[in-house]
Amino acid sequence: MGMKAEVKTWLQEGRVDIFLGYRMMAGHPLPHVFVKDRLQEVDELISADARYPLEKFAARIAAAQPDIKIGMLARDCNKRALNVLSVWNQLEPGTVETVDVNCCPSNLKDGADCSYLKAPKTGFHKKRVGIDNQSDPEDFETYDQQERFTRWMNEFQRCIKCYGCRNICPVCFCQECSLEHPDLIKTGDLPPEVPIFHLVRAVHMAGRCTDCGLCEEACPVDIPLRLLYRKVNQIVSDLFDYRPGSNTDQSPFSVLGEMPPEPEPLKAAEG
Amino acid sequence: MEVKYVPSVCSYCGTGCGVLFEVIDGKLTATLPLKTHPVNEGRLCIKGWNLHEYVNSFMRLKAPLIKTGGRFRRVSWDQAIQVTADRFTDIIAKHGPDSVGVLVSAKMTNEENYIAQKFARAVIGTNNVDHCARL
Repeated sequence: MGMKAEVKTWLQEGRVDIFLGYRMMAGHPLPHVFVKDRLQEVDELISADARYPLEKFAARIAAAQPDIKIGMLARDCNKRALNVLSVWNQLEPGTVETVDVNCCPSNLKDGADCSYLKAPKTGFHKKRVGIDNQSDPEDFETYDQQERFTRWMNEFQRCIKCYGCRNICPVCFCQECSLEHPDLIKTGDLPPEVPIFHLVRAVHMAGRCTDCGLCEEACPVDIPLRLLYRKVNQIVSDLFDYRPGSNTDQSPFSVLGEMPPEPEPLKAAEG
Repeated sequence: MEVKYVPSVCSYCGTGCGVLFEVIDGKLTATLPLKTHPVNEGRLCIKGWNLHEYVNSFMRLKAPLIKTGGRFRRVSWDQAIQVTADRFTDIIAKHGPDSVGVLVSAKMTNEENYIAQKFARAVIGTNNVDHCARL
């Protein structure tokens, strides 16, 4: 109840122009833009366990209308992503205000809403020849180099190059993506050149990935992407003492003391 | 600026994955998977991820065209249908009904597929009906 009343107040007072939340439509919890003109819709505002990258939507909307003020429902992962988008100049600080949502379960609070609460269990064959998506980088200490490489290759070679991991990632925003550069990744090749395709992405996720896990949820063949990027960011944390999304300080990956020129934020398609 | 998120079904193959369109001011600008759809459960293939591209493509046909003298000429629907019917009649009269083949597709609706095969069998008089998936 508190959530809906707060959102209504924000819209009525003009604290935000639009509010990004979820609403049941056609039997599915879908992202929805709540506005002051249709305030009664806020009665249907829900925070569903289906997770969409609302901050990515917010960045796209702000790119199309730069002076807009956006409110949104945010779990911890959304807030981390908002910080990273600010750090990399994709969102002006202050454009987005958040209403917190219960994410992980605890006895100290009433509810929990996260698709990770229902993460699929890894099957027997995958555990035997591949990698358990639910494992941690530390679990790899028991395998030797050859076995690690074989297991990862068994995972990567299933890739169908759908670009789902990149498309859904809330902190992927480059207009010219390396994964589409014709000199690096040949078009029309299936499977893509492995492991280079995934390692290129992993390197680009260093210092950016907020460990939200949407990439793994979007992968049609269950490649343990979140695990891979966790390892990369563990290295970043060890070397630079930097954890993406924890604050809006300048990232150690922006060199020369000031932000390097970044591509403009995504604009809605023209023409 | 009007922003909506509209659920739909992918128009490519016969699987029918659930998709979510970002619609800004009445125009499709992005495609996402429907995370709670039972068919795809939040995943899409590369074709599904790019539905918004072809919807807005400048290469989409907007009017009937007839090739005349090696170039396409814009015509009315009546003219286009008449020319097609006349050509089919000529070909069937000259080479027989089995000289015509009909290819259906998962991109069409089931109802359209039904009409196409009915047209092939009852109107043209051939059973040369096949599907793009078999190519």
